[in-house]
Amino acid sequence: MSERGSRGLKLGLVAPALLLLVVFNVFPLVYNVVLSFTNAELVGDGSRFVGTANYARVFSDPLYSGALRRTALFVFCAGGLELALGFAFALALKREFRGKALVLTLALVPMMLSPAVMGLYWGLILNGNYGVLNQVLGELGLAQPQWLTDRSLKFWSILLVDVWMWTPFMALVSLAGLSSIPPQIYEAAEIDRASAWTVFRRITLPLVAPLLGLAALLRATDALKQFDLVMATTGPNDAATQTLSTLLYQVVFRDGKVGLGSAYACVVLVVVIALATVFTRYLDRLKGAQVPR
Amino acid sequence: MKFVRWLVLAAGLSFAALPLLWMALSSIKSREDAIRPHLNFAPALEAPADPHSFEFEATGSAYVQLSEVHAGAQASFWSHLWSSVVIGVLSTLASVALGTACALGFSRLAIRGEKDWLFFVLSTRFMPPLAVVVPVLLMYRTLDLQGTHLGLALLYTVFNLSLATWLMKGFLDEIPRAYEEAALVDGYTRAQALWKVVLPEARTGIAVTAVFCLISAWNEYGFAMTLNSSGAVTVPAYFAGLQGNIEGMPWPQIAAGALLFVAPIAVFTWLVRAHLLRGITFGTVKQ
Repeated sequence: MSERGSRGLKLGLVAPALLLLVVFNVFPLVYNVVLSFTNAELVGDGSRFVGTANYARVFSDPLYSGALRRTALFVFCAGGLELALGFAFALALKREFRGKALVLTLALVPMMLSPAVMGLYWGLILNGNYGVLNQVLGELGLAQPQWLTDRSLKFWSILLVDVWMWTPFMALVSLAGLSSIPPQIYEAAEIDRASAWTVFRRITLPLVAPLLGLAALLRATDALKQFDLVMATTGPNDAATQTLSTLLYQVVFRDGKVGLGSAYACVVLVVVIALATVFTRYLDRLKGAQVPR
Repeated sequence: MKFVRWLVLAAGLSFAALPLLWMALSSIKSREDAIRPHLNFAPALEAPADPHSFEFEATGSAYVQLSEVHAGAQASFWSHLWSSVVIGVLSTLASVALGTACALGFSRLAIRGEKDWLFFVLSTRFMPPLAVVVPVLLMYRTLDLQGTHLGLALLYTVFNLSLATWLMKGFLDEIPRAYEEAALVDGYTRAQALWKVVLPEARTGIAVTAVFCLISAWNEYGFAMTLNSSGAVTVPAYFAGLQGNIEGMPWPQIAAGALLFVAPIAVFTWLVRAHLLRGITFGTVKQ
């Protein structure tokens, strides 16, 4: 086949997708940077150049530092809790038993559902006055806190919903890691009379760690975007639960300040791009090493 | 040890499944029963004589009321569900077609900078919708695409391209090259070999990819609520918009609608259970 024909085929196959991705990602990125130096508003045109005024505001704004801290805390707690619980569930699920596929799939369903819809629905479970969680706590004679309206609790209630949605993800990845460990290694350890704890620390954990790292990074990039759950439970303008994404929404769509919002977005994007780079590097290194199959 | 294992399994399964079971129960309650302060979980055919009993009268009225228009919304649940279906199906077809073509190119032809392109494709998935939505919104205003099925479907197509490309690349890489080499010897052109030999072998992969693209479009909320807040509103944006409803939350209808909305996803999850791990890790981890 001629070199020209092969080139046409290559272009025809990959160009449409790549072109769309460039148009819808690179253009907004560049335009965002331009907007961030103006005082553009959502309604009405006629914006002008304001220099770095927006950035000065972003970095001196307590709302921004608060949202940044809250988002970081969310990423950290959600990732850690989900990893720990998911790994524990995977350990329990490791051995074969009848109906394992059904149990596993049932337990995995939450991660496939819409966070916005489930977040709204969790409001019924967590309602302080008629929610089923408090009703059960009441029957047990325990305290019945206002999960979604108490200032000091709201954040943790949203985290609880996130743990409900995403622990299955960590469980699934952990299970894949656990089942990729060759049984001969365990047999050898048994011959050496290694204790259960030693086996866990010296064999199980190191062998699944690379995969868990990948899962944690993937989960972190996702949790960093946290928007849906907060919007569906406490809304965008709640000082106790505002994350970077909901703050952005508030600034652009409620206050109409597109220029300032774009400056926020640029700062957020720097963080996201850094994390994405870490992720792809990690992935590259893993692929070079042994990826469990 | 065995006891601990079963305890963890039971706890995990209840934590995952009980909220969904409660959703099903709430959907057959009346609004009064849904917001009663005491626990009621056992459906009965008649209203219980004792007001503090655990029973409640089962009713299908929430499902009937799904065709009503609630305060703060412009249309009924069904019309929003239709928007979700149209946008989900359109974008899935487009992203699977484009993503498969792209993956085919990267999997079978030598393309310069392949690795860099693939990482660029993956990195687009990390963009928070809220950080790129303003330029898209301004672009859509100019093109008159705001609040249309087409506009959101187009955006979801792009949004899912990374997923479709990476998943399909994984599936295509597993098909032995000997197949198409044999076809080339038989006189097929390279394009014919890809179309008639490699693609049919990737049927399962295409189906799995389509399911994951559909689910991701079906659940998306950030773009949906910012771009389509007034026209072609999908179910997640519609539901979240009921938050802070002045007439009080229509809980049984929300439970009924949410159940109808997530039921197909539960079915799809079961169908692709063998490929779940691959699907949620962009094909980077294979089972």
